[in-house]
Amino acid sequence: MTKSEYLTEYDKIVQTMQKYIDGSKQGKSEIMRPAFHPDASFFGYAGDQLAVGTKFLFDWIDKNGPAPNIEPRVVSVDILDSIAVVRLEVSGWSGNLAGSGVRMSDLFTLLKTSSGWKIIHKAFHWHAAERSQAA
Amino acid sequence: MPERNTPQKTLESWKQIAAYLDRSERTVRRWEASEGLPVHRREHEKQDTVFAFRHEIEAWTRRRTRFPEPISADELESLPALKPIPNAYLAEHDAITRTMHCYIAGARAGDSDLMRPAFHPTATISGYCQGVEYTGSVEHVFQWIDQNGPASNITPRFARIEIIETIAVVHLEVERWSGKLAGANARASDVFTLLKCNGEWKITHKLFHWHDH
Repeated sequence: MTKSEYLTEYDKIVQTMQKYIDGSKQGKSEIMRPAFHPDASFFGYAGDQLAVGTKFLFDWIDKNGPAPNIEPRVVSVDILDSIAVVRLEVSGWSGNLAGSGVRMSDLFTLLKTSSGWKIIHKAFHWHAAERSQAA
Repeated sequence: MPERNTPQKTLESWKQIAAYLDRSERTVRRWEASEGLPVHRREHEKQDTVFAFRHEIEAWTRRRTRFPEPISADELESLPALKPIPNAYLAEHDAITRTMHCYIAGARAGDSDLMRPAFHPTATISGYCQGVEYTGSVEHVFQWIDQNGPASNITPRFARIEIIETIAVVHLEVERWSGKLAGANARASDVFTLLKCNGEWKITHKLFHWHDH
């Protein structure tokens, strides 16, 4: 893959990830659904509870509601022809379910399909509550 | 014998102990002999029977996760001799490579039973196979591995291992794939996502890309 090919694919991948970020920020799963492959899967621990399946994710996003202050950062984008890995760090999560000031680390894997780059798997780690600097 | 899914405090045979630990009977017998797996015996006239307490097995597993022992070469690929683990990162890194070596050993032998313990039961796979997009259950990997048969010359390389507390991603580059389905001298790039479940790293997703010849 040449540098310009990498950058072209990089931009398409980040556009897909932006749908996830926008859906998270607005608390609307309908915004992020197009970013996901129909057969996508989802895994991680919310506290002691193992959360599995994109239905769990989308329900959680809708019930959590807006999280206007999230600070998403793309940590890495690795592309291997038709597959890709994105690591996203999101701090400042808030909402009905998230509480406040929560940090999540996400590992997304993506597949290049005929309708663009789609998230096929998402694994998350919900970091234990961080003490506010101001407290 | 109690039903397997009945809540019970004891495991009543080697078979149940092995199932509980998701390993072969041979492995758990060896763990008893060499690593102090807490197994008890009831004396009978003809032959003793074994049993184990779940809470003792769980405590042993926690100790073992904190102070991992090397895996024997007869079951998995031989790993470099383990030195005392100097930090928590290396302990997790090595636990992940042990899980991945189950996958590699199964791929090399063409025996899905060797790799099953590496996967979460509801793991999925996706990628392209001969230009066709494919997604599905990990059971399809197991079928493929068994049908493909031995691929004794595969050369696996860890291109990346990234750990974030309870989740991890592993990029494995495998050259010199062979077998009934793989053909000859094929190359695959795999990206595995793993989750740490009850102290053990399990693959939850395998994303694959077969390179053109």
